Amino acid sequence: MSSRRSRISEEEITELISKLQSLLPETRRRGASRASAAKVLKETCNYIKSLHREVDDLSDRLSELMATMDVDSAQAEIVRSLFRS
Amino acid sequence: MQAAKSFVQAFLKQMLLGIQLSAVSHRSGSLQERKSAIKLSADVAMAVARGSKKWTRGLIASLSKEEQNRSFRQFVLGKDFGRPAKLCHSSWKIPRSKNIVRRSLRFLSKRKSNIRAPNSSVLAGTLVEKRTQVLKRLVPGGESMDGFSLLDETLDYVTCLQAQVDVMQKLMTTLEASKHRADSNAQCPKAKLHLLAMVGSCYSTRKGLWKRLSKRPKLTL
Repeated sequence: MSSRRSRISEEEITELISKLQSLLPETRRRGASRASAAKVLKETCNYIKSLHREVDDLSDRLSELMATMDVDSAQAEIVRSLFRS
Repeated sequence: MQAAKSFVQAFLKQMLLGIQLSAVSHRSGSLQERKSAIKLSADVAMAVARGSKKWTRGLIASLSKEEQNRSFRQFVLGKDFGRPAKLCHSSWKIPRSKNIVRRSLRFLSKRKSNIRAPNSSVLAGTLVEKRTQVLKRLVPGGESMDGFSLLDETLDYVTCLQAQVDVMQKLMTTLEASKHRADSNAQCPKAKLHLLAMVGSCYSTRKGLWKRLSKRPKLTL
């Protein structure tokens, strides 16, 4: 009974690792074959860090842009995007 | 990666709220203050747009703890300010039936993972353990998660981070375009008004509009 449970869990964990791998930019570009869990975890950590940096950079640029804009028209533009999307 | 429409809408709504609050309180603030306000708005927006997940609760909790965010939090979190853990359940509108399913799945996975984690050969090994520790620190609320939950939450978190970047980039493009239009309007208002008047008068006749426009020199709209 317990061995069957752990077999199911192995598959599910492998499934998660493989899903995680498919999110990574490296994999998307080269269509790499299945990597080890250790490699996927390392790439995931690096990817999360780079996404954090991107958000940081975009926050910088957005705040700079908004400083040069009329706040009301910036807000109006966001509302317009809401209606469009 | 295209974000889901509902996520984009919820994200933008929350961003708008955050920007309004930061404009109100930081009209004369430093660039750093404004940047932190935008980043905070973006993170809260992402968590709220996603709904109830372990990482979103972890994120809201850690944002709530930061002292500098006090006044902002007071507006955003409202009457539940000071009780971040409770807030995360009560303020998000998740349909009741979904919530029950979610809770029971969580309960099941918690039970399974206690048996699973030590037996998994995929997650065995010191290198994997080391990297898991790093990942735990990167994913909000990760410290208290077991192997399976961590992987599951990471999958969700990465998807949302990609969506966050995507929406912010699009917002950037939209605002830049709007600013560009505003700037060029300021440069030639008379020509712009004339063009608008023409467009207005020719609205019913497309043919007439094209005819008239083709005779005019090119103007940026």
